[in-house]
Amino acid sequence: MTILRRELGSNLRGLLIWALALALLNFWMVSIFPGMAAEGAKLEELTEMYPESMMKMFNMDKLNFSDPLGFYGVESFFMVVLFGSIYAAILGSGLLAKEEDEKTIEFLLARPVSRGEIIRDKVLCWVIYMVLFNVIIGIFTWLGFEFFDVGAFSRATLFFLVLAPLFVHLIFGAMGFLSALFFVRRKAALSMSIGLVLGLYFLNAIALLSEDMQFLGWFSPFRYMDAADIVNNGGINWTYALGLLLVAAVMVAVAGILYRKRDIAI
Amino acid sequence: MPVIETVGLTKYYGKTKGIENVNLQVQEGEIFGFIGPNGAGKSTTIRTLLNFIFPTAGEARVLGLDVVRQSREIRAQVGYLAGEAGYYDDMKVKDLLAYAARFYKQDCASRIRELVDIFDLDVMKPVHSLSLGNKKKVGIVLSLLHQPQLLILDEPTSGLDPLMQMRFFEVLQEENSRGTTIFFSSHVLSEVQRLCHRVAIIKDGQILKIEEMEQLRSNQFRKVRIAIDSDEFNGNAIPGVIHAARENGIWHLLFKGDINQLLRFLSEYKLVDLWLEEPTLEEIFLHYYEKEGAE
Repeated sequence: MTILRRELGSNLRGLLIWALALALLNFWMVSIFPGMAAEGAKLEELTEMYPESMMKMFNMDKLNFSDPLGFYGVESFFMVVLFGSIYAAILGSGLLAKEEDEKTIEFLLARPVSRGEIIRDKVLCWVIYMVLFNVIIGIFTWLGFEFFDVGAFSRATLFFLVLAPLFVHLIFGAMGFLSALFFVRRKAALSMSIGLVLGLYFLNAIALLSEDMQFLGWFSPFRYMDAADIVNNGGINWTYALGLLLVAAVMVAVAGILYRKRDIAI
Repeated sequence: MPVIETVGLTKYYGKTKGIENVNLQVQEGEIFGFIGPNGAGKSTTIRTLLNFIFPTAGEARVLGLDVVRQSREIRAQVGYLAGEAGYYDDMKVKDLLAYAARFYKQDCASRIRELVDIFDLDVMKPVHSLSLGNKKKVGIVLSLLHQPQLLILDEPTSGLDPLMQMRFFEVLQEENSRGTTIFFSSHVLSEVQRLCHRVAIIKDGQILKIEEMEQLRSNQFRKVRIAIDSDEFNGNAIPGVIHAARENGIWHLLFKGDINQLLRFLSEYKLVDLWLEEPTLEEIFLHYYEKEGAE
């Protein structure tokens, strides 16, 4: 628990910067919705001018722009999922890689602490942070919906819209932990895990664009937490959610096993 | 029960040899020198003892505990000073010491205060702003704060000024008189000679020799340079000379033995100049241990 305490403290600034940036962006997005909705007709015209591929990529074909949750699903949801995944990847890979990169790992390994305890504390810190990250964003978004005159909306659906990104974040953070084991240098681990986030996001975007490519989406975590599905079904698919949790848990477990067996020489 | 015992300890990094068939026994209360040139396998041996890396073959026990299976228990009783360590950039010295102390069951606060005084450390300074020597001092305090039974020191004196080095040696001797066993790795022969009871010499991953300090003291190595005009003089004829070569009219000798005998021999000649220096370990290895190893 000594390491957990330390990590919770030393990464706090990063968490606050990322979470508050996205939370305020969401808050602001919600604040402009009433104005946009008032100009409903013009908005429809505007969106009709968008190319079809863009409509599909941002789920604008399946979501109603004049509905507050539909608007949130198009304008904000993807940013929370995508940027949150990047933050999760940075945090996950950094927590392990920084010790070796900054040569502090010998300090840690010279203490009476097992490798299992080191990775356990780092994973715990990361899970707590990802939950906090989504709670902060969720609260700000909810406050926005209550504070501004957005019209009628389902609070339950909004809850699922702000909960859903967490499952994707956990997947990419777990990938970050794994990549830190294969790339000892922090920069390499970081590039690898951010590359994965962007690559898989792109894969999902391609899948949304074309019927022929639709199957590709199933290889991307983003496919399983889709704003249009959530808004239109009024909830998340729990099979998908548990599946994502399971895959993340397996990846973290593999990282733990590898970490216990590996040579650490700086 | 030996405090450190390795049997056929071998470590390969892929195909590259780290150490091979290292057999060591360090007894309780000993100051044991571990000496060899850079890259000889000193750090590899130490890292295996602390289970930073896993042995390819052989086994090792520290304080009677297996280095792989019981590493956590071992590390609770071992103080380790790394050759080059990094410390957390966002911490002050006092934060780092407090963080380290939290890993141990006992209260380390008073020992930390003592050590900080001895080594004259400014605990309010951020660790990253410290000079190399001051970082080393932090490392020394970190290795001692939990009053370990065994100290493993990897190149502990690099970066320390002579005054601090002296204080450090005093602390080590004090620790040792309290019963702490010390495993002291270095590439500087003279500091090992001052402190250690026994010495193991390692080169290219293999132990060449384990010697009692008495033995090594009688083997006083000196690098001798003699400027002399006489062509009759032959450096190789001096008793105790291991290696001699003449270059630009100056004889370069590696001498082992009683320095008085050398001086008596030289007094027969008319010298232009004479230099006596401590040879580097590499020079000793090149001309002495390597030959012995080959025999």
